Amino acid sequence: MGRPAHPDAMKSSRPSPTRMAPPQMPSEYPMGGRYRAYTLFDATGFVYLLVGLLGVRVVWALGDGPVAWAQLQSELQNPLYVGFHLLALLSVLFVGVRFFRLFPKAQPPRIGPAKPPPQPVILGGLYAAWLGVTLLMAAILSGGLL
Amino acid sequence: MSGSKKTFVITRFDPDRDEAPRQQSYEIEVDPRWKVLDALNHIKDEVDPSLSHRWSCRMAVCGSCGMMVDGKPSLTCKDSLADHGDTVEVAPLANFPVVRDLVVELEGFLDKLKQVKPWIIRAKERAVEEGTHRQSPAEHQEFKQFSMCINCMLCYSACPVVANEPDFLGPAAIALGHRYNLDSRDEGDHERQEVFRGEGSVFSCSYANECSEVCPKNVDPAAAVNQAKFRAVIDWATSFVVPRGGEG
Repeated sequence: MGRPAHPDAMKSSRPSPTRMAPPQMPSEYPMGGRYRAYTLFDATGFVYLLVGLLGVRVVWALGDGPVAWAQLQSELQNPLYVGFHLLALLSVLFVGVRFFRLFPKAQPPRIGPAKPPPQPVILGGLYAAWLGVTLLMAAILSGGLL
Repeated sequence: MSGSKKTFVITRFDPDRDEAPRQQSYEIEVDPRWKVLDALNHIKDEVDPSLSHRWSCRMAVCGSCGMMVDGKPSLTCKDSLADHGDTVEVAPLANFPVVRDLVVELEGFLDKLKQVKPWIIRAKERAVEEGTHRQSPAEHQEFKQFSMCINCMLCYSACPVVANEPDFLGPAAIALGHRYNLDSRDEGDHERQEVFRGEGSVFSCSYANECSEVCPKNVDPAAAVNQAKFRAVIDWATSFVVPRGGEG
């Protein structure tokens, strides 16, 4: 049996004449079966939070002058930081692929008179846009466009 | 009957006697062609008449016989015993209060369904002499998939948001509301958008997609919920440009 769900899950607005057993969650939730991928998808939010905090630290070091900046760059060579960035990259790839797999069917069949293109076209467009933005960011960050 | 033996571990709950649900095992001889529902009916008819479970059509149309089979939401009249091992666990649908044994309370769903107004709404009814509302096959195709729902509740049972957020309208109710929003004869979109954007809104869905994975009729409620999100955003944005509630 699974863990208890919220006690009011799927509860009727009218009082019941009989005593009922409280609702249970699916026994595979949260880490079994197909729920594992969904739970990991949600858990990547924590990785992005840490990436965001690191971003704030980078900006802070930039404002503190060349010495602080050089020290931070040196710290970022630490294998722990490299490992963390690899984890962040994997998280982005995982979320991107999952999102792109599910996104096309979320398109309304029509917005006003306009119909969306076929799903393979949407999917191709999403991956092309992802690759394009990644290349653009890489070019900017490496100084290629400055 | 030339079959093999299987053990069924069934969750039992008698509100008059049991403090909490318990499990009871039944070892029976099964026909390899049986569905899970056939085994449950055999247990009730031949072994233990006190077992309670819902079923009706036996052909995946009525949606009555949804249960958790080996931890997964399943329509037991469609779920072949051959796809399960020697021990089969059967429990009431997850995320629902349990009335007795494998029977769950469905009133909560009916409350949610009523909120989305699953009927055709017209701003002004057409006079009979004006004839019927005509609909092209292409217009029908736009919502047909979402009208195939049999209210079996497997989607609610699989949804992690339903388990945690009691106000969430849930997959089947949203899919049925969205079905009418897509219907060319309907003019109730704005009324339903207020429900979709209100308490228990479509935005509670975190797109686990489990509802669509377990749907026995390929309705794809996750698509409906996420299309409804899209429409809700567009409706909200256009409401600043096109005022609502005035006379036509």
